[in-house]
Amino acid sequence: MIRLDGITKVFPGVKSLDNVTFEARAGEIHALLGENGAGKSTLIKTMAGAYIPEAGTIEFDGERRAWSLPKEAKDAGIHIIYQELMLFPEMTVAENIFIGEAPRGRFGLIDYRTMYARAAEALDRLGHHLDPRALIKDLSVADQQMVEIAKALVGDTKLLVLDEPTAVISGREAELLFDRVKRLRDQGVCIIYISHRLEEIFAIADRVTVLKDGQYVGTREIGDLNRDQLVAMMVGRELADIFPVKKGPHADTAPVLTVRDLQAPPKVKDVSFDLYPGEILGLAGLVGAGRSEVAHAIFGSMPRTDGAVTLGGEAFNTPTPRAAIDRGLGFLTEDRKGEGLMMLLDMAANVTAPVLPEFTTPLGLDRGHEILAAEDEIRRFRIAIPGPKYGVKQLSGGNQQKILFGRWTRACRRVLILDEPTRGVDVGAKVEIYEIIRKLADEGVGILVISSELPEIVGLCSRVLVMREGLITGEVTGGDINEETIMQYATASAGADAA
Amino acid sequence: MTEIAAKPGGEPILAKLQQFAVPIALVALMAVATAVQPSFLSPNNLQDILTQAAPLALVVLGQAFVILVRGLDLSVASLMASVAVLATAFNATSDAMIPVIFAAAIVVSALVGLINGLLVTKRNVSPFLATLAMMIVLQGVRFYYTQGSPSGSLPEGFRFLGAGQILGLPVNVLAFALCFGVLGWLLHKSSFGRKIYITGGNPAAADLVGIRSDRVIIACYMVSSVMAGIAGLFLVGFVGTVDNWVGRGYELDAIVACVIGGVALTGGRGTLWGAAAGALILVLIFNIVIILGLPVQAQLMIKGLIIIIAAALFARAQKA
Amino acid sequence: MAHIESADGASGPAIRPIRRLPLDPSLIIVVLLLAAVVIAGFTLSDRFGTLRNFTNVLEQAAALGFASLGQALVVIVGGIDLSIGAIVTASTVLMATVVELHPALMIPMIFGTLAFGAFIGFINGYVTIKTGVHPLIVTLGTASILNGAVLIFTLQPTGGVPFWFEEFAYGRIGGVMPISGLVMLLSFALAWGFLRYTPTGRAFYAVGGSPEAARLTGIRSNRITLMAYSASGFFAAMAGAYFVSRTGVGDPRVGDPITLASITPVILGGLILGGGKGNILGVLLGVFLISLLSNLLNYMNVSTFIQWVIQGLIIIFAVSIYVHKGKKL
Repeated sequence: MIRLDGITKVFPGVKSLDNVTFEARAGEIHALLGENGAGKSTLIKTMAGAYIPEAGTIEFDGERRAWSLPKEAKDAGIHIIYQELMLFPEMTVAENIFIGEAPRGRFGLIDYRTMYARAAEALDRLGHHLDPRALIKDLSVADQQMVEIAKALVGDTKLLVLDEPTAVISGREAELLFDRVKRLRDQGVCIIYISHRLEEIFAIADRVTVLKDGQYVGTREIGDLNRDQLVAMMVGRELADIFPVKKGPHADTAPVLTVRDLQAPPKVKDVSFDLYPGEILGLAGLVGAGRSEVAHAIFGSMPRTDGAVTLGGEAFNTPTPRAAIDRGLGFLTEDRKGEGLMMLLDMAANVTAPVLPEFTTPLGLDRGHEILAAEDEIRRFRIAIPGPKYGVKQLSGGNQQKILFGRWTRACRRVLILDEPTRGVDVGAKVEIYEIIRKLADEGVGILVISSELPEIVGLCSRVLVMREGLITGEVTGGDINEETIMQYATASAGADAA
Repeated sequence: MTEIAAKPGGEPILAKLQQFAVPIALVALMAVATAVQPSFLSPNNLQDILTQAAPLALVVLGQAFVILVRGLDLSVASLMASVAVLATAFNATSDAMIPVIFAAAIVVSALVGLINGLLVTKRNVSPFLATLAMMIVLQGVRFYYTQGSPSGSLPEGFRFLGAGQILGLPVNVLAFALCFGVLGWLLHKSSFGRKIYITGGNPAAADLVGIRSDRVIIACYMVSSVMAGIAGLFLVGFVGTVDNWVGRGYELDAIVACVIGGVALTGGRGTLWGAAAGALILVLIFNIVIILGLPVQAQLMIKGLIIIIAAALFARAQKA
Repeated sequence: MAHIESADGASGPAIRPIRRLPLDPSLIIVVLLLAAVVIAGFTLSDRFGTLRNFTNVLEQAAALGFASLGQALVVIVGGIDLSIGAIVTASTVLMATVVELHPALMIPMIFGTLAFGAFIGFINGYVTIKTGVHPLIVTLGTASILNGAVLIFTLQPTGGVPFWFEEFAYGRIGGVMPISGLVMLLSFALAWGFLRYTPTGRAFYAVGGSPEAARLTGIRSNRITLMAYSASGFFAAMAGAYFVSRTGVGDPRVGDPITLASITPVILGGLILGGGKGNILGVLLGVFLISLLSNLLNYMNVSTFIQWVIQGLIIIFAVSIYVHKGKKL
């Protein structure tokens, strides 16, 4: 159906794609796999005409094509569903499905009856029944995704690309999505499925192509591969080299953080656990299971309705972020750009933000002191930045993340909650961040790691809690920590609720 | 003043130009004015201009605080007039009453700012509408109280505050200098100022580093209102008479001055220096219009052009 | 268990009943307020509840109606137009001045004035798109330029139009229906039909709701934005023509209160600053609400000053009730 040959795409200073070859057939689900920054998105945008490659050829539906606009690719039958859904929340399902090409009746006016009927048809073909008159904003994210897919069906879509569709929906919804996608495949649509989650790839794909650092690694039938081989293709080295040695918590210590019956509706229903000094505790589960919300509820950035928390042996039941920070609890958010960094301020201001009082004198902020502190962090975490007075916007994801580590390790020495600590970070920086986490634990900090990347949880944590739908459904320790066990607890299939 | 705004990595020329755009514009305008009228640079004339500029500049300082936290304060001009009416309500004749009048004005202004801030933070009303409504409400209350024509009198001393001099320096300019010093310290040196920049630049991040952004925002609205109240009193002193429209148009002029001075409406970007310079640029332009013998109304046209051009230049520089 | 849904999907959890309200929920508040004002009017004043009074109010509401309609279109695409008052003013002066010199040009000048308004609106839109400057600033700038130009030209009401043009404001069809009010109602009806039944009209909501998504779905958002601002200028000029018709002159101050006044009905009608949402009929109801309220308060001898206070409180009330997260201006 589509064939890309020798595609090279260069951005200022970076070769995002280097001589990449890719080929997908009609009636197959072809997974495109790679780490963050491997070039998946660039490749997709090249297919879609959003980027024009410096070199290489595109062949679609048997013809050589050179898109110059996204619209040309769309008209030819390529439909892309981005992670950010392109929907209009105040409009109906049907209007969204037909956005820009609504059926017209007399005088060229929109024929709503036909539109609703045809929208219902498209949803039928997908096997997903939604009221075409419903407003998008009243739908769940999973249903919204189905609307996006239905959009593809009303056009004559030959190639459908799904860019990490499960990042925003629950496991149960994901299975429904897989079912719908397979149905489309059986109708002859070529589907390209982008993900970095191995379990999904095995559940849905017929073939898989792996990219790494902008280069083509290879294409395989999914039946010819096992997980380890796939990981090796993706990462290019053995997992053992990536993660530091595991250690348990410091011996004979009292828990530094205890959480009992924590409730924060709607996502957190009942969560209890202990965290010990020097421990790296994992919190696993599917996206939407309520993991980040647990962190927010402990930290005080989201209201709790019930539960008892102690921090360093003292009750912490009227939480605010300020109080949490003052008691040595830090929270590194998963949304680095949206909730983490202040892009308009320099690196030093980013580091000292939670501990401004430490730098406040009767004469105001002690800028000199602040700069020295920031320089410390630059050295400590080997941050590639010219100096503390430089901005953080242009830095790589890894360096940005290290600045946030600088911020939180300076502010908080008791407990750190790390939400997706390596999201959007390249492999090299990942290794560094894992070492940092290990070192902090060795220094006696209790660390709670929330991650969607199971290899990370498995490789890093000495104990793992698994969440599903607001509850802790399992706890795994030591040698029992592996992806299968965690997934069993994370999805309904484990059957028994441990909590 | 310490520059905590980030240095961009590879600095595009436009961004560099932007840093110096404000001083360059100031110097260029002075040059133009001097070329047209050599006496422009005479101490007397400069003094006049500064005296004229001071009330606006006071409002601009406050407006900058609000804009830095992604807000807007349209109620300042209406508040200035209301405070002026309030001052006459005392019917005071003795200069000893001046501190009392100031205290009353500051308390009332702070209250207005508090309400603006609460509407914006707690009720999530857009700053534009919250302060617009406040502007209309204040106007109604003021007119109702005065029944359309203010009466009552001000102590003689107000004239001195508005147009008098100490050691050859205009009193209101000294007052501005004092406010500029205090607010400049607050914004650029104190931890409160840092919190303003953090909140304006990224409110979500502010909450997660333990900053109560709501309180910071409310405080900024209060700063704006209090500065407007003070400016109202000085302006009354300068004009000499109270009417219901003292300070009319200052809300927009203050926003224009901030934008010219590089304070971005998107929040978190800009300095008090820039805002004050913006005010001065605006007043200089008004003056040049007069010097050139153009009709006063040409000020409006030039103001309109300048705000669009300045905003466009800053927008472009920020994109680059 | 959860996903037992069969492949043919006759039943299953995916179908969610959507609760239907008889009325667009964003209209409830304005309808309730309107009902309250009308009931209060009938109770408190003898003169309020007459046909004559209602047609008078409709006639007087025309200017606010035109201005608010234009404002609403811009607000739907995510902008705001602070130049409406200035365009109103400039239109009256332009029309009255030219027609006084050449009375024969009366009819062409009606169209000329509307075209002028649309052109100024177009410039607003163009500058907004090209510079990326916030529309608040752009339209404020345009307003300042226009007002300055008008005031340089004249400080006093000026010009004049033939007497018959008065018919636009004061004329009555069948002695009852005011022409101006009718034109205003028709404009709203057309705008409603346009927004609801044409793809371009739907695109207004798309652009206001999510400009990025609109772009990626192939909508020409720039073109839509230009249309909205041009329409706003057009209707502002319409309000200008109405004023000329009422007073017979071009008044360099007549538009001053219109800009901010045009925003209140828009907010009352449930549109949000930030765009993408709202029913234009709500704006019409907002215009009625404001006009009837002021009419009633006048009958009750409530001073203009208190009416200002009430207006401010209504804005606060309206925006505090619709709590909108995220989108701010």
